[in-house]
This record gives sequence, C-alpha cells and structure tokens, in this order.
Amino acid sequence: MHRRHLLMTLPFLAAPALVRAAPGDADAPIKVRDLYTRARGFSDLAQARDGRRISVSGYMAPPLKAQSRFFVLTGRPMAVCPFCESDAEWIEDILPVQTKRIVDPVYYTVGIAARGVLNLGSFTDPETGFVGQMRLTDASFDN
Amino acid sequence: MSLKPYLAASALALAATGATAQTDLPQASSEWFAAAQDTVAQALQRQPNTGRALNVVLMISDGNGVGTNYASRLFQGQQTGGFGDEFVQSHESFPHLALVKTYNVNAQTPDSAGTGTAMMAGVKTKAGIIGVNENVVRGDCATLDGNTVTPISRIAVDMGKASGIVSTARITHATPASAYAQTVDRNFEAHVPEGCESQTDIAQQLIEAMESGLIHVAMGGGMRNFHAGEGGRREDGRDLIAYAQDELGAQFASDMASFKAVDPASGAPILGLFESSHMMYEADREDEPSLAEMTAAAIAALQAAGGDNGFFLQVEAGRVDHANHGGNLARVVRDQQAFADAVAMADEMTDDADTLIVVTADHEHAIAFNGYCGRGSDILGLCMGIDGAGVAHTGEPNTAEDGLAYTVAGYLNGAGSILVPEAAGEADTSATNASVEVGAAEGAVPVFSGSRPALSQEQATDIDYLQQALIPMSSETHSGEDVAVYAKGPWAHLFDGTLEQNVIFHVMHHAMTADR
Repeated sequence: MHRRHLLMTLPFLAAPALVRAAPGDADAPIKVRDLYTRARGFSDLAQARDGRRISVSGYMAPPLKAQSRFFVLTGRPMAVCPFCESDAEWIEDILPVQTKRIVDPVYYTVGIAARGVLNLGSFTDPETGFVGQMRLTDASFDN
Repeated sequence: MSLKPYLAASALALAATGATAQTDLPQASSEWFAAAQDTVAQALQRQPNTGRALNVVLMISDGNGVGTNYASRLFQGQQTGGFGDEFVQSHESFPHLALVKTYNVNAQTPDSAGTGTAMMAGVKTKAGIIGVNENVVRGDCATLDGNTVTPISRIAVDMGKASGIVSTARITHATPASAYAQTVDRNFEAHVPEGCESQTDIAQQLIEAMESGLIHVAMGGGMRNFHAGEGGRREDGRDLIAYAQDELGAQFASDMASFKAVDPASGAPILGLFESSHMMYEADREDEPSLAEMTAAAIAALQAAGGDNGFFLQVEAGRVDHANHGGNLARVVRDQQAFADAVAMADEMTDDADTLIVVTADHEHAIAFNGYCGRGSDILGLCMGIDGAGVAHTGEPNTAEDGLAYTVAGYLNGAGSILVPEAAGEADTSATNASVEVGAAEGAVPVFSGSRPALSQEQATDIDYLQQALIPMSSETHSGEDVAVYAKGPWAHLFDGTLEQNVIFHVMHHAMTADR
C-alpha cells in the first residue's frame, strides 16, 4: 500500500475508538441503540435529549440519493438500502440524519459520529421520501 | 515384518492386557481418563432402535456449520461460567451423527433453497429453487412442469400424520418453504412474474397447503407476504391471513398475547406471523415467542391433530444465518442458543422410542478461528495467551505481527472487512458513488486497502461488534464446508460417516416406513 493511502485510511480506521463514549461523559457520543427501548419505543435517554444537540456514533448507510442533505446512521455497518430485498435485512438500530450541508459519503464500514439536534416524532424527509419516527436535524458528522 | 501379522500381534497383546491393565496406568486416576471410560461404556450399551418412527422432527439451524456450532458451544458454556469448550449443547448429547456434504448441483457453495430441497425431498437440486429438480432453470416458470418433487411432509400427511413448520425467518423463506412449496425461484415469496402460469407465489402456496391439509401449523415471520395492506407485499391485493381465518378456520397469532391464546388441541390449523419480515434476533426479541416456545406449541398441536398416526415437524433457526451474513457473531451465538433450547424442548416433549429427531444445518459460513488461545478466552472477544503454569488463559491478549490484538473468531469476508476504499471519506458525491454500493458501478471500482485497528476486549464483546474480516462484501457469504447431522430415535444410527445431504430425507423416510 502506498504511504499516501495509508495516511488517508488510518484516521477512518481509528474512528471507532474515537467515537466511543466515555463513562460519565455527558457530551460523549452515544450509540444509536441507546435511543430505543427493547420494544422499539423511545428510550428514556432519547426523551431526555429531545430537542437537544447530541452526538451519536455509528455508520453511514450508502446515501439513498446523491447530492442530498440526508443519510441514515446505522448501529452496525449496513450496505443495503432499506427498500432492498436481501438476506441481510435493514437493521432496526437506525437514526435518520438531516444535515446542514450536502452529504459527502463515507464508506459504510467506517465509523463516524453525527452531531445534531434530536427530534422525536414522525417525519418524511423531503429530499428522499424517507419516513421515520426519530431524526437528527441541523447535523454534521466527522470520522 | 509385513503389516498384517504385526497388526494381528498387536490386537492379541491388547486383548491379553484388557481393562485391568488400564487401571494400572499412571493416568488412570485422571478425571479425563474416567470420563472417557464412561463415554465408551455408554457407547457399548447403545442399542440401535429399529422400530418405526411415529414422529419425525427435522431441526435445521440455518448456517450453523461445524465452525459456527463450535462458537455457540463455547458461548453457551461461558454463559454458565465455564471455559466453554467442555459444554455440551442439547443436540451434542445425541448418540448418532455424521458429516454432511451440502453442495448444490450447480453450486460448490450452497444456498438454503437447494439444501432445503435436498433434505426434504431426497434429491440435490440447483441453488435458488425449491421443491423442484435440477432440470429447472432458475426463474423460468416454463421449466416447472414435470420437474416437481415431493417433500417428506407430503409423504407424512399421506400416511395420516400431521405436518408443521416453525421458523424464525419468514415462513416463506427457503428452508420452511421446502416443506410445502414448488417454485422456480426462492424470491417468488409474494408474487410471481407476469406471465408465470405454472405456479403461484410461495405465500399463496402455504395457504393452499393449509387448505389441503399438507401444513397444519406454520409459525414464523413474513406477514408482509400475506397481505396487501400497509407494509404488505402482495400485488394481487389478496388478504391471505383473513382467508386462512375465515375460510380455513385457522387460529392466527401475531404477538405474544395472540400466541398464548392459541389452543393447540382445538384441531384448527395455526398460522403465526410475528413480524413483517424475519422474526427478531434472540438478542433483541420482544413480544414474540422464542423458537422453543413455538416448537412446543407446534408439537402440542401436531400431537393433537396427528393422534395415533403421529406427525412431521420442521423447525428452523433462520437467523443464525442472518447474523453470520452480518458478520455479527454476538447475535449468531444467541440465536443458536435459542435453537439448542428448541432442540431440548422437542426432545423433552417426545419419546426416543418412537420419535426420530434430526438436528442439522443446511450450510456453513465463511467463519474461521484464530489461535493459539488459552482456555476461557471469550469466544466473542480477544484471543488470550495460554498459561503454561495453569489452565485458564493469561489475561493478556495475543498479538499479531502488527502488534495488535485479535479476536478468537473472524470471517473471511463481509462487512467487518478491514479494507476500505482508499478514497473513503473523500468520495465524490456523483450519483454513481453516492447511490450505489462503492465498487458496484462499472468502471468505478476503487482500490481497497487498510490495516487492522487497535481493539479492546470491551469493543470486541459489544453486541453490535463485527468480527474482523478480509474480503470486503456487504453480506458475508455461506461456505461449502461440511455440516454435522445429529440424531436420536428410530434408525438414527443410519446417520454415520460422511453423507450427501439428500440422504437425510432417506433416513427419515426409512424410519417413518420401516416394518414394525
């Protein structure tokens, strides 16, 4: 591998360690799964953070539409689109993210942290038509 | 010295020394020695059961090959506080087993449609097709006629037995469908292509099977394939659930409350559809029955319906396979644990004297195991060092030549790949790159590279962790490696050696039809 490529790749590979929440650190990224109860309702944490800016670690599913301000944050790397038929179905630990800027796609296995305002409640993303019950708005992300 | 006289002399010497001499061995006081002697003593007591099988239960853990099964054994053992290796899963206590060659006629690496047909109908066929022979061209409805095969469930029903299927996958998925469907494509779950006149879709075939009496109990996921309402996939607009209830008198369950309300002894068929698609992973299960609970309900219903004629039941742990596809071993082993619980339930509810229980997998996955790990290394976590002065591992992770720790288990391919596109994070936002999986577009295949990240035990044992893999793929693949078949009950001793997968049907058939 070329050194240039190594330097480009390493920050992404190190990302999961960077985005791991530290115990007791209220501003540290939480996991997507922490926002849901086992019965797929909103968790206490999600309800407590509704309307507040939070940071959530996960992975960027391949964007549904190019040049959009929307992506889906997944709890595990997930390459398939939610409308595709596959043995590996769309997982439940997802968080729709509406971003400030047009999304610059990150490969779906590279850990990222998305930061934005948590909004609980039904919505339809105007660009993609994606329907969800929870989202981050005014969001940005880093890896 | 020629070989044969030497062997004869050795045999004589062994016979002369006998068991008495064994107790004089310095290792004779070892618990390992005593346990192994017990094992041999039990084997010497074993008598083949040559009676006719009143009941046959075929239990398939989808994707639970020998390697995956090994991981699950260690997980369950470690959950109970042991090192893991010494643990015995329910099916591993069965007295008879064989290795099974799982390939499809046209696929070195099989899929569940071809393997399901092999087990249920006694002939190998192509990948992707169900209840039909190898003359069928996948997806071509014109090739169906004259090429269908008869499943063991049909033979059982024709003998007066009751028949049922239970799965944690969609009940229209390949393995359960092999009990009732004949289709040129496994994906025809809710509709067939325009112009396809030779068959109906798989969901429709299940309802037809309930109507004809072929299937008395069907429980699993896949509700979307049975209706055209919100979230439904039916293009013909039919509501097959309402039809089953109104026209067939079926008891319908979709959650724990309605599952508990089902009366197995009523004689009415049972349709349980607990999710729109697959049922939840065991790790995430909520308001759905476990595989063991569904197995118990199915056996009770089939015992009532079959009466003195007995029953046939196929049980599938469908999501062991899916978690493997996801490269997420933490969910694999928990679903396999649920499967082992279902095996124990089936064993408990039936009599070895008249019930053949066959436990197997349809195929293995691209899972592999690292070394050299000390005893008690978490099967989901890091490979710890071997302690030359003790038994338990050292508590220090082994490291590779990159200086980094590694997990006990890994995958050859999948979403856990350490390789990423070299332009990762800086990809352009053209439609090509943004709307499809990277590398899928013609002429847009990036170079993949990478190295292993540092890994802590906490990260590796997280429920959502994906074990490191090599080849980047969105879905980890099956492998063609052998699986095992474990059996007990009438004619279980016929499972021996290394078998073609379609032999499973023939042993079940022989057991069901043997002269009393």
